[in-house]
Amino acid sequence: MAKEYKLIFTGTMGVGKTTAISVISEFVPVRTEVASSEKLSDDKTTTTAAMDYGEVMLPGGDVLRLYGTPGQSRFDFMWKILSAGALGVVLLVDNRRPDPVADFRDYLQAFRDIVEGSKAVVGICRQDSHPLPDVEAFCVAADEMGLDVPIIAVDVRSRDDVLLLVDILFHEIEAAECDSSSETVVMNTTSMRFA
Amino acid sequence: MNSVVKYEADTEKSICAEHIEKLLKDSTDIYGAIVASVDGFEIASQVRDDMSSRKLSAISSSLLALAVAVCSEGGVGECRDMVIDASEGRVFLMDIPSRKKLLLMVLCGNVAMLGKVFWSARNARESMSKDLEAHHTGG
Repeated sequence: MAKEYKLIFTGTMGVGKTTAISVISEFVPVRTEVASSEKLSDDKTTTTAAMDYGEVMLPGGDVLRLYGTPGQSRFDFMWKILSAGALGVVLLVDNRRPDPVADFRDYLQAFRDIVEGSKAVVGICRQDSHPLPDVEAFCVAADEMGLDVPIIAVDVRSRDDVLLLVDILFHEIEAAECDSSSETVVMNTTSMRFA
Repeated sequence: MNSVVKYEADTEKSICAEHIEKLLKDSTDIYGAIVASVDGFEIASQVRDDMSSRKLSAISSSLLALAVAVCSEGGVGECRDMVIDASEGRVFLMDIPSRKKLLLMVLCGNVAMLGKVFWSARNARESMSKDLEAHHTGG
């Protein structure tokens, strides 16, 4: 019987959560974009007020349900609502921002319940134009928080990069399920390979 | 924020505050109202002390954005208003057409006549929209 898995894409405003979901979703994602009162960038004038929603069909008929959160902390009530029942979280960090490591810490803390179960992956965005802080700096910060989470540099406009993030996340989820010695492993990694 | 933008924002805020005050004065069943930007920033409000207008502004923004998405997905056209029927009252949500799109959230108890409150809220929305437009066009 086909299964459905709920994944969360989160990160600061403008990092590319909507884009990441768009490049892998089977259909044009449901969006809740509204005009932004804050200056984001010359080519971005809207922001997500509630959520994005997309889906990926896996070989075998299983479905990934992808939920994107709003970026701003004033919408943190949506983070809690969307996190309910989520299997894992993809955290995107914008290296253009003034203190990306602080953003990283804030979001890891906000999604700590999911991250602590080793059900998270982190994508560092725009490292090509903003190489610092490097991946190592984020690993150190995660270490200091007592969290072990895979961290890679990504371009969320690239379907391959986003699929890589999701693939890593599934390995993490599967490993966590094995570690928790549950009676059944909920997923078969081989069935998670994307077409 | 430069002085001209701040002046415009202050004027916009005072226009909204005046309309909220009138709405609550004219409709005694309404005990709270908020005008916020569509991305959840409070512009003007009158709510009980035990409520956070800042938080309600953000939540209203998300709700209205979801309502727009539901209407679009459901093929029922453009979202006009949203009514939430709760055990102890009702919540009305609607957008305020203006150059900078805003939203109006109205709270009332369950003793209220739905139609009367709805009519009052819509009137407030229309008059606020006109006054904001006149302000933006210098009328």
